[in-house]
Amino acid sequence: MGVVKLYLCVYNWLLFAGWLQILVSAVKALQQSGPSGVYAAVEKPLQIWQTAALLEVFFPLVFSFLWFLVLRRIVYGIVRSPVMATLPQIGSRIYLTWGILFSFPQVQEHWLVTSLVLSWSITEVIRYSFFALKETFGYTPRFLLWLRYTTFFVLYPTGICSEAGLVFVTLPFMQLSDLYCLRMPNKLNFGFDYYYMSIVALLAYIPGSPGMYTHMIRQRKKALSSKPKAS
Amino acid sequence: MGIAEKTVRVQVLGRSGKEFIKGGVEISQDGTVADLKKAIQRQNAKYYPERQRLTLPLEPGQKRPTVLEGGKKLKDYFSNQNPQVVFKDLGPQVAYKTLFFFEYLGPLIIYPIFYFYPQIYNFFGLPTRQVTHPVQTYALYAWCFHYAKREFETFFIHRFSHATSPLANVYRNCAYYWVFGALIAYFVNHPLYTPVSREQMYIGFAIEAVSQISNFYCHIILKNLRSPDGKGGYQIPSGFLFNYVTCANYTTEIWQWIGFNIATQSLAGYLFLGAAGYIMSVWALQKHKRLRQTFDGKEGRAKYPRRWVIMPPLL
Repeated sequence: MGVVKLYLCVYNWLLFAGWLQILVSAVKALQQSGPSGVYAAVEKPLQIWQTAALLEVFFPLVFSFLWFLVLRRIVYGIVRSPVMATLPQIGSRIYLTWGILFSFPQVQEHWLVTSLVLSWSITEVIRYSFFALKETFGYTPRFLLWLRYTTFFVLYPTGICSEAGLVFVTLPFMQLSDLYCLRMPNKLNFGFDYYYMSIVALLAYIPGSPGMYTHMIRQRKKALSSKPKAS
Repeated sequence: MGIAEKTVRVQVLGRSGKEFIKGGVEISQDGTVADLKKAIQRQNAKYYPERQRLTLPLEPGQKRPTVLEGGKKLKDYFSNQNPQVVFKDLGPQVAYKTLFFFEYLGPLIIYPIFYFYPQIYNFFGLPTRQVTHPVQTYALYAWCFHYAKREFETFFIHRFSHATSPLANVYRNCAYYWVFGALIAYFVNHPLYTPVSREQMYIGFAIEAVSQISNFYCHIILKNLRSPDGKGGYQIPSGFLFNYVTCANYTTEIWQWIGFNIATQSLAGYLFLGAAGYIMSVWALQKHKRLRQTFDGKEGRAKYPRRWVIMPPLL
């Protein structure tokens, strides 16, 4: 087993386990203390496992850069998901996890956190179990393939609405704080306002979401229409 | 009755392999690719020639299809009795002049707004600019001169190898130029702007002025390489800086923005420099490669001399 394959196996099983833990904790907390307790129950694992997803972007980028520079040969296997499609997705997740939930405790008990965490964790449990099985056994049960390319019909809209909704309810707190802001005057002649950046990010959901949705519908067609090939 | 002109029936396939025009189109045996495109347009008026891309069907093992060039005769491409071409719709097209006109119009209008209407900063919760530093005034002149020069070159200097570009590029390019233009204008004309020292400012604007003039001269040299109809672009550029650098036009463009940034010193400006430098380097590498392949020094062809690509002494 090559290093790349070993890495992919370990990575996918690990993230599967991590997201399963998030899902289970979220459901338990929901039963015991309602939506306001969900964030406290999942905070640490959410931060760890969502940040780990950066590896999915980071490795292809680093490797394709290396490929560009010298290697030119060895590096194909590690690029599983096309970076341009995953980058905005993972970027928005990191933004929500660290830039919203971690940075603004005022919104941590909002009920939208529940729908957010459930949408993310169900999607990821399915996705990583799919990849993990594929990498380890080279085989995936048909129902898992179907789930991977069907649940998004519901989970994308709920996830996206929770994300955008949480950014929206955080806006007033951003406006009042100077967190992550850079003010003029300075030698770089640059200013950065987290509040305005978040409004731009919110606006980016308008063209971005239908794009993602149609992308997934196309992927679904491709994945489900092709009959299993006899090799 | 005269002798009937000999014609040939060309089968037009879509990219899926299905027949795109039922029964194909009939054109003169001596016809050119341009004639074929016109014949296709007669079948479906939507597809004017610039909107069409015609290729030969892929041979087994071939990865990139052969593109049919407008001026060539069909005879040069087909030997057999059953000629086939593959049709691709390139989407709505606009003239390159139109594309350039709109890209550069944005920065030319947006930048002065931030200089001449400092009240605009009130919309961002900031005070009106009270003091205007000399560097801000010079930057306005440099900026407007640059984009006015580009507009002038678009209409009176440049000769385009392609007449049209896809409409989608208009939106993409305008977003790029307009957004960067607005960002740089916002920060350089900011009420809390911090100027650099006088010496640094003069050095910066001196570099920028020399580069702009050199850049203009480069564009005139490039123009003279091409005949007025835009053909014959594959010549070895020479003269002035082209004796040392393949894309001296980009070199001077980059140095112009380096000069502008030395004088104005804004992060937004340096980001624009980085983006522009990257894009132009990619283009320059392509052009350098193409020139080296075309002028390989074999079979009587000229040999492309050793030159920098875009940025001596780095690339």
